[in-house]
Order: sequence, then structure tokens, then C-alpha cells
Amino acid sequence: MSDEKKNETKDFEPKIVGFLCNWCSYAGADLAGTSRIQYPPNVRIIRVMCSGSVDSMYILRALLEGADGVFVGGCHPGDCHYIDGNYKARRRMVLLENILETLGIEKERVWIRWISASEGQKFADTMKDMTDAIRKLGPNPISKKWNI
Amino acid sequence: MTKQKILKVKNGDVNSAVNDFLGELLKSGKLSALLVPQNVPSKKVVFPVLISDPNKLDANVFAPLLPVSTAKMISKITKFQPSDKPIGVVIHPCQIRALIELVKLNQANLNNIIIIGVDCLGTFPVNVYADFPEKKNPLDIVIDDLKSNNNKSEQYLRSACIVCNEPVPINADIIIGVFGMDISKEILIEAVSESGSKILEDLKLDSAKDLKKREKYIKDLIENRTKKLEAFIKEKTKNSDIESLTNFFDKCVNCHNCMNVCPICYCKECLYDSSVFDAEAYKYVKKSESKGLFKMPNDSLLFHLGRMNHMILSCVKCGLCEQGCPMNISLMDVFIPTAQNAQKEFKYHPGKDSKEKVPMIVYREDEYVEVGEK
Repeated sequence: MSDEKKNETKDFEPKIVGFLCNWCSYAGADLAGTSRIQYPPNVRIIRVMCSGSVDSMYILRALLEGADGVFVGGCHPGDCHYIDGNYKARRRMVLLENILETLGIEKERVWIRWISASEGQKFADTMKDMTDAIRKLGPNPISKKWNI
Repeated sequence: MTKQKILKVKNGDVNSAVNDFLGELLKSGKLSALLVPQNVPSKKVVFPVLISDPNKLDANVFAPLLPVSTAKMISKITKFQPSDKPIGVVIHPCQIRALIELVKLNQANLNNIIIIGVDCLGTFPVNVYADFPEKKNPLDIVIDDLKSNNNKSEQYLRSACIVCNEPVPINADIIIGVFGMDISKEILIEAVSESGSKILEDLKLDSAKDLKKREKYIKDLIENRTKKLEAFIKEKTKNSDIESLTNFFDKCVNCHNCMNVCPICYCKECLYDSSVFDAEAYKYVKKSESKGLFKMPNDSLLFHLGRMNHMILSCVKCGLCEQGCPMNISLMDVFIPTAQNAQKEFKYHPGKDSKEKVPMIVYREDEYVEVGEK
């Protein structure tokens, strides 16, 4: 590892864009906050009405604009406020990961997790895990590219 | 209830035999109109033409050319209101698959549409076909190849056709078959569906006797093409990474023509054509400041990846996107591998069954349970 790269990873703070569903994961994140559970501030949260409303375009755009990771949070399967939004999100994520894999883009930068409104601790732990994992992966190589 | 008939070819002229057959269908009143690939007056290209007067028929159904998506044309005809009179459509196998996908997406209606599929001999890019460099015409080249089992036409074929392993129509009502036939003497006319056999009922055609040669020819052809397809995918995904992907789309001018010619992309107003991606001047400057520079037009890679996510499961690998690209980007290099892998993941075969639903609108509770759980 070159010195430059070493410094880069040492000082590297991942930027993560999080799409959280209004009914479960966002409330879970809220609970983590009101319960004063500490978690890394690397995630920038965007509230969406349902994980099923997260088109792959949002995820791709975040990645191409240089986000180091993208997180999608939804209700546990079976608990969706709109009955089946998260089942559709699940299929969409499988498709996106499949495409990213074929094209050689790191699919490890995209996470989907089911976090309920009562799981403040799980949300904090997930954010910790994801930040650590992305820190290990290093900065998103796309963020250095301008010919996109 | 498969019915196989033989259409006699006189003087080795395949085209006039097929024209006679199609003209007969129109004259008998069994079809009120026929959408066929027909020579334009200059004979430079063939285009889908909706014919109602049999005397105006100058079809060239085996011409190695697919200038526009025939499926999209049928969608145009039937989208607002299904046809109340029978219309025959002479169509390539990939376009039948695209048509079935459009039916699933509520963009076409097969009521009173008689699908007449042709064995596809492959197609040339429009410009190669129109300004053909040899003295022979393109049709003769592919017909000669078929007669002599040669591969001389391959140098002109579009890359999608070279690796196409579905050159025989599925889901057709009637098939006009040439594979494995002695085409200087006879062509196969096969009724596959009930409406197809009704159309063929009173026509004076002999029954086909021995089609073993055809079956073997098709089996070998598909085997051969599948090998080519697999080798193509292996070759094109060997070094895939973000570096090669961005370089691949370097020439893209963001004209969205690949989307406009794609049979599957049917949205009236595409998200990527909308003003969602427009921004105020200061935002552009801000974007430039984050990397020190900002390429315009912006978001071309996002467009391709986003479009891919929306249509790839229905992609029939017809290659019209590549043919439509003004910058000659070999789009099949990324679309064929991604389509193949994604469709395999969902065990989905686009164009196979019009009753099946597209994968992104259905789900099962007990599938992909590992996704979202660590």
C-alpha cells in the first residue's frame, strides 16, 4: 500500500446516503436518537414513504455522485405499511446487485436492512457495521471519475 | 394442433413464392391487412408496411434487415383500441418476444393479430444494407449461405444476430420456415396455433412429410449459437470494472436514441428526458468545484445504468439500441451479459409466455429471505 493510499484510508470518513422508510426504519433512527444511542454520523438520512419507492435510480445516482455507500432501510418483510412495498424493494435490490456485479461495480457499497420502529439499537449497530465495512472498502472509486 | 404444409418455390425464387402466399391470404379475405417488411420504391431498404391491397404487395420477408422494432409498430396499431379485423404481422423472432413483453406491459393487444413468424437469417446494420458493398444483394447473400451452409454473411451481421440463439419463432400463429429446408424447391408453412390453422385451412398446400432434417438443423444451429453467446459473454465480462465501464460510454452524447428505438422502453415521458436532472447555475458550479471539473452533458452513465435497471429483465437482445446509436457504441457488449445474468437470476425468459407477469411487479414472500438479513 502506498503512503498516499495509507493516509487516505486513515483519514477516510465514509459518506453514506440512507433512504429510510417513514414507518419503520426512520422511526427506528428516531428512537436511536431519542434514546441517546451513539452511532457514527457518517450517514445522511433521507426519509422516503416506503422502501418500495426507492427506485434504483436514486441509489445509482448517489453512487455516481460519489457517495461511498448507500443504505436502504425498510420494515421487516410482512410488516410493510403498504402491505408489499418491501417485498418489491427486495426484488429490486436483487436485480440492482446482479447488474452491478456483472458490470464490475462494488455491490458491497449498497446495503438493505429491515429495521422496525422499535429497533433503535439495531439501527445504531447497523450504522456502525456499515461505516466500518465501507471504511475497509475505502473511498468510492467513482468519486474520482469525472467522465461519467 | 400443429399443421405443417409445404409452399412450392418456382425457379428458386423464394421471395415471389412467399409473396404469392401472403397475397393469397389477403385476397381470400382471411386477413384484412398485413404488416410486412416491404421494399421501399428505391429498393434500398425494407420497412414494415401495412398492406390492404394485395396488388401493392412487394414483401421481402427474409431481407436481412430490421430498421425499426416491428413490435413497437404493432403496439402503435393496437394500443388505443384492439383491432376488430384480423391483421397479419410478418415478424422476426426477437420482435415476437418484444411484442409479448409489450402485451404484458399493456402496450399492445393481440386480439385479431395473427403473428406470422419467419425463421431469422440474421440482419445487417441499416447502412450496410442500404449501401451494400457487394454486387449481389443482401438477401441473396443470406439465402446462398443457407443453401450452401456457408457463413459468408457473418461479416455483415449485427453483433446481436451473430450470438442470437433464438432464431426460430416462438409464440407465432404461423411460421414461415426455411431452416433445414431445400429452399430452392420448398418452404415450410407451419400453423402452430388454432387461429393459425384456421387461416391455412382452405389453402391449396401439400402437407409436409419429413421434417427431421429441419429439426436437426435447428438443434445444431441453436447449439452453435449458444456456444457463441456464452463465449461472447465470457469475453465481454472478463475485465469488467468501473474504469472500463466509464470508458465504454465515453463517446455517448446522451441523445437517448437507444431508448427511443428500444422496443421495451415504452414510457411516454422518460424520467431521464424530464427536467429532474436540470439544476440552477450555481449547482453546476458547485458540482464542478467538488472535483475541479464537470463533464457535460451530465448524467450519461446514470441514464444507461438507470435505463438498464428498468428494462433489462424484458430485454430480448434484439440489438436495436446498438443499431440506433449514432456514435457506434457497441451497446450489446454490456446489455447482452447483464440481460443474460439478470434474467437467469429471476428465471425469466422474456417473450415466452404472455400470461406470465414481468418480475418487478410480483413477489413471493418466501423468496430471497437472505436479502436484508445479515
